[in-house]
Amino acid sequence: MNFIKKLFKNTFERDILILMLVSIIVGSVLAASVSLTANAYFSKTLANLVGDYGEYDLIINVREEMKDDAAQQLQKIIDDAFPGAKLKEGPTLTGKTSFFVALPEQYKTKKIYEDLGKTFGSIPGGAGIGFMTEPRITVRGVPEGAKNMIVEKISQMDGVKFAFRDGASVGVLLTGLDKVATVNNSVQSLLKQYQVIEISFPVGSEPSNPIRLGEAIANDMCQQLKVNFAQNVSVDGKNDDMTYAVSTMMELRRFLGAYASTVTIKPALGVKLLKGDVAIFQGGSTAGVVSGQAPVQGNVIVEITEIGPNGVGQGIITQGDAKQLAGSMGYRLEKNVASEPIGVASYRNPRQDLGNALNETAKLVNNIPGFIQDAKNISNTGIRVLDNYNNGMVAVERTLSDIESAGSTIQSATSGLAGIDTSGLQNQIDNSSRAMGGLVGTLEVLKLVQADTGGAIDNLNTTRHNLDNMKNTLASLDSVAANARQAKTTIDQVVADANSTVAILKSFDANSARHSLTDADSRLDKIATSIDAPAITTQLSYLAGAVPNLKDEDISHTVRILDKFIAGQVIPGERIQILTTNDISVDAALPIVYRQAGHQNVALYSAAVGVIEPNARGELYRVLSEIKAILAGLTAIVVTVLFLVFDHTTVMSVMRRNRKVQLSKETGLLVKVKRFITGLIVPERKYGMEVGAIMLTAMFILAGGGIPYFPWIGVPILGALLGLIVASYCDKISPVATEEVVAGEALGLSYDEIMREIVIPSARPGLLQKLNSRKMKFN
Amino acid sequence: MLIINNLSKRFGKVKAVDGLNLTVNRGETVVLMGPSGCGKSTTIRTVNRLIDPDAGSIIFAGQDITGLGQEELRQVRKRIGFVFQQFNLIGRLTALENVMLGLVMGGMEREVAYNKAIVAIDKVGLSNFRDQKPNELSGGQQQRVGIARALAYEPELMLWDEPTASLDPILVREVLVVMEELAKYRASTMVVVTHELPFALHVADRIILMDNGRVVEEGVPSKVFVKPASDIGQRYKELIEYQMNTNALTLAGQKVA
Repeated sequence: MNFIKKLFKNTFERDILILMLVSIIVGSVLAASVSLTANAYFSKTLANLVGDYGEYDLIINVREEMKDDAAQQLQKIIDDAFPGAKLKEGPTLTGKTSFFVALPEQYKTKKIYEDLGKTFGSIPGGAGIGFMTEPRITVRGVPEGAKNMIVEKISQMDGVKFAFRDGASVGVLLTGLDKVATVNNSVQSLLKQYQVIEISFPVGSEPSNPIRLGEAIANDMCQQLKVNFAQNVSVDGKNDDMTYAVSTMMELRRFLGAYASTVTIKPALGVKLLKGDVAIFQGGSTAGVVSGQAPVQGNVIVEITEIGPNGVGQGIITQGDAKQLAGSMGYRLEKNVASEPIGVASYRNPRQDLGNALNETAKLVNNIPGFIQDAKNISNTGIRVLDNYNNGMVAVERTLSDIESAGSTIQSATSGLAGIDTSGLQNQIDNSSRAMGGLVGTLEVLKLVQADTGGAIDNLNTTRHNLDNMKNTLASLDSVAANARQAKTTIDQVVADANSTVAILKSFDANSARHSLTDADSRLDKIATSIDAPAITTQLSYLAGAVPNLKDEDISHTVRILDKFIAGQVIPGERIQILTTNDISVDAALPIVYRQAGHQNVALYSAAVGVIEPNARGELYRVLSEIKAILAGLTAIVVTVLFLVFDHTTVMSVMRRNRKVQLSKETGLLVKVKRFITGLIVPERKYGMEVGAIMLTAMFILAGGGIPYFPWIGVPILGALLGLIVASYCDKISPVATEEVVAGEALGLSYDEIMREIVIPSARPGLLQKLNSRKMKFN
Repeated sequence: MLIINNLSKRFGKVKAVDGLNLTVNRGETVVLMGPSGCGKSTTIRTVNRLIDPDAGSIIFAGQDITGLGQEELRQVRKRIGFVFQQFNLIGRLTALENVMLGLVMGGMEREVAYNKAIVAIDKVGLSNFRDQKPNELSGGQQQRVGIARALAYEPELMLWDEPTASLDPILVREVLVVMEELAKYRASTMVVVTHELPFALHVADRIILMDNGRVVEEGVPSKVFVKPASDIGQRYKELIEYQMNTNALTLAGQKVA
């Protein structure tokens, strides 16, 4: 309320408010003028360079030195192809002159835009053609193989006039400026639905046919990952014939590479072979290779392509044929002149091996009928054996049964015997024999006395002998019994083993085996009847003779030609691009790629299927508008500082003087601390910060100022900071004649009167002084 | 006319004025003297509150002006003329405009103010210099402009803060002549801070000696300088005798009416 009251009173405070208003207006106008002037200048320059928005449709760059001829040719072309079109020469930059063409509406068609390269291809010094029809959107980074799909989908969007292939990008022409945002969003959404999975192979791990591999991976992804869409877009799908031709050439190249002879060079002593070295051999030439000699017809030249263990080099023949190498010493070929001896060569000729293999195969095939017959015989024998198998098994079982019975019989027969234990009897006999021996001894003594005991002694000896014999017989009888028991045991064991063997034999499915052999026999019959071995032999021999009789040098030459062509169509092996939906992760595709590639030496990346290219003109204008804002902001800052210095420092100086007059001038540490803390809020600094913040913020807003990376909250803070700095030095910038102020006070003048009549008129020239002059009573 | 009671003013640790009491009667010319830094200028500047006192009261024409608001204070100041040591003229204004300034800003009609200013300028003998700017005038002339400016208000009280301190002796005389005339023939009420002993001796009705922010002695010049009761007084007596190389009593005798 007080503030509003002050506004209506004729006070110096109102003067200050008016001053600030005027300062803000003046400063904003100045800042805006500077920025608008700069913006107008740059915009005009830009318009001069590239025409107004939508003024031109095509930009054709030509080399500067040919611009006159180019201009003539261009005029001729547009007169013929686009009657009514307008041609204008544009600026020349970095040696290139730009020409702008404005096309009549009827010529803004998809076909014409896609054929721009052809239409203007004959321009002398041509250095590029671009389209700049507005409104438009450009999508760049679209893989060649995906362009058709993207063009088709974008063409169906509302607001799109047509989409077309524009070199490496996809150009989209819109129906109107109002459609830019919606089409932009639609294209963004479309691009987000897809991704390109890029599969990169490091050097040495490249696939020989990336086209086939890409197709296989895409198919596998569709099947394994249940993906709706996956397509190899590594090559331009525009021309499928070319794709297949390239793919075929890759296979052909691979075949030829495998078909060429491989030369192995064992390095001579002290020689180190390197990849890329070239060796020359005598080959079919009559004269040997001599150092310092250039190659002649008949020499064999080998280029080393690989270095193996122990420094042995492997290479291919670029002149001559492997057959002519014959273990000769080669010389290093440098700058087409033989130099030092390099090593001895040996070779492996796959063609020769193939021929040999074919011949051997033919021989083998010839023996097939014989093999078949032998096999039939074996199978028949087998069948017969199996026929008797069961009978044989029955016989064996019967025999076993008989043996078992015999064993039982033996046991029965010898059971009594087996039960005999004659050991007691033998002991008795022993005792008896001993007794008799004792009796004999007695009788012998008796014989001395009585001679007629001799006969008794003889009888006793005979009986004793018989007893011994009987004992022996009994022992033998024991042995027989034991043998009988052992025989039984052995028979039992034999029968048990035999039974288990029979069980195993019985488990053999002889019928099944028999059926198998019977089937095999039938098949052999069929083979025998179906194979026309002689015919096969004939073909194999024919093939052996039909194997291309290419020389190694022919093969090398052909491979080089194929490489050149293939390189122009696709970079073999470097990468494969699979276009698929965005819901598949790279990790999910990894196993599929590993499997198809046959190794894990690959890297996978996911990339966007395309990016909307910022409109160059739009970007330029955006940059210009940022420059405009920066200029406005900087001007506002400068103007704020100037106003603070020239107008407000006087006011601040008086404030400071008044404050210091009232200051108690106390000293002491506490006083100093208190002053330091309250230093920011002393009247003149507060005034400076408020004025600075308000002025700068207002100017920024009104003039459209802006500083990159500087948030809006920073503007009033910056203004306050500027005001604070100025306030800190106010009495140095605008010293006040204190004695005049005191005189005014002594005369009873008010603060307003002192400021208007004494201080401001003597202050620095500025807006305040100008505005104050109408308030002065003494001009 | 002016009563100062127990006036105190401190600057930091220094007590510039310490419990000063002073009375000035209407028509009286009171001279404040004392050594430098004794508080004379501080005292005189507190009278119209160019410096606000820390304590005490100042009663001017029966009104205590110590606690007055800004607006009322301004009105009081218009009744008190102040002449500064450094003249304090407004540099961008002519001599005449300097004199007119206070009148016009106080609401007087410009023409009336002009006439008054002319009279004031003439009074100080600067009729021929009225359109000169201060930097075109000598020190004495500037000070006379300052006097004219103070007089233009026809103030009830004139305060003089060492009006001749910045002037050379010849110019001092110019100013002193004006001061003397005002004192003797106009019967103005004046409080003068000065070191000019002749003025003090010849013109002052009362001398107030100050030291360390206090009044140490006051009285008529013949008493203060002839029979001083204070040390300061004694020193002044000696100074006078030295300067005039004559008996102070004689001079004092001439003074007595």
